[in-house]
Amino acid sequence: MAPTRRVTNLALLVSIGLVLSIIESTFPPLLPVPGAKLGLANIATVIALYVFGTGMALEVTVIRCILGGLLRGSVIGLFLSLSAGLTSTLVMILLFVLADRFISVIGVSVVGAAVHNAAQLAAAYLLIRNTALFYYLPYLMIIAVPTGLFVGFASRRVALSLEGLSLA
Amino acid sequence: MVAKNKKRTWKLRAGDLVIVALVLAAAIGSTILVSQAHAGEKGSLAIVEVNGHEVRRVSMGDSQAARTFTVEGWQGSSTFEVKGGRVRMTKSACRDKICIGMGWMDTSGRSIICLPNRVVIRITGNRKSGGVDTVTE
Repeated sequence: MAPTRRVTNLALLVSIGLVLSIIESTFPPLLPVPGAKLGLANIATVIALYVFGTGMALEVTVIRCILGGLLRGSVIGLFLSLSAGLTSTLVMILLFVLADRFISVIGVSVVGAAVHNAAQLAAAYLLIRNTALFYYLPYLMIIAVPTGLFVGFASRRVALSLEGLSLA
Repeated sequence: MVAKNKKRTWKLRAGDLVIVALVLAAAIGSTILVSQAHAGEKGSLAIVEVNGHEVRRVSMGDSQAARTFTVEGWQGSSTFEVKGGRVRMTKSACRDKICIGMGWMDTSGRSIICLPNRVVIRITGNRKSGGVDTVTE
């Protein structure tokens, strides 16, 4: 891929992720549990992974988390979203590379949601140092299934349309 | 980069079901773990922490008279109410008000947590035996 194309695609994906997370921040919380979100921004990462490859997915996540944190002006938020985003993207990449024959984009997305939620809880624990936080873990695992499925199906729909275009 | 010659099928695969099952199993497993960790006794004392440091402790008697307290958190003040041996967050400077949505809490070992404001109300002690007998304010 020509460098200019690559930078353009990367910028587009980062923007999509940022806009999705801003749209999502206007929604009311799904559950009265911190971290229980739809995770729309993950759509950009999943599309990057399946249409452009592993490197692009990692770059999209890192840049999106840093820019998102700066836009919201919250250092805690940046720490939480970057640590969770990075962990879940790395696990999704691992599954994509190792188990692509057995697991489709839907399963990878569900794993991404579950790992994201668990990692965010672990990161929050590092900040607040209260084991009572893990009381939320069951709720965060359950909510990861529908949110992960939603993100997976949405990403698949978009990726199907992008596949015909010679973007890469 | 994705190999261009490899045509992706995008179809759901058996592994997807396995993954959903595994995540649900993790949910059930963590429920069991959490419920064992906190046996569910009613607590007698609410300890309020801001950014990990204790700022206040309030005894939770059976008195039906509502008492409200305010602490300064990271983003602003958090107000909580103690009544009938239970505690709840009533006002908070945070954005999502998840802490308020958690409602009344009376179980020892559980907490009301407001992450944005870094306020934690931890319930401890045991009303039946042991734990804290009484706390003077």
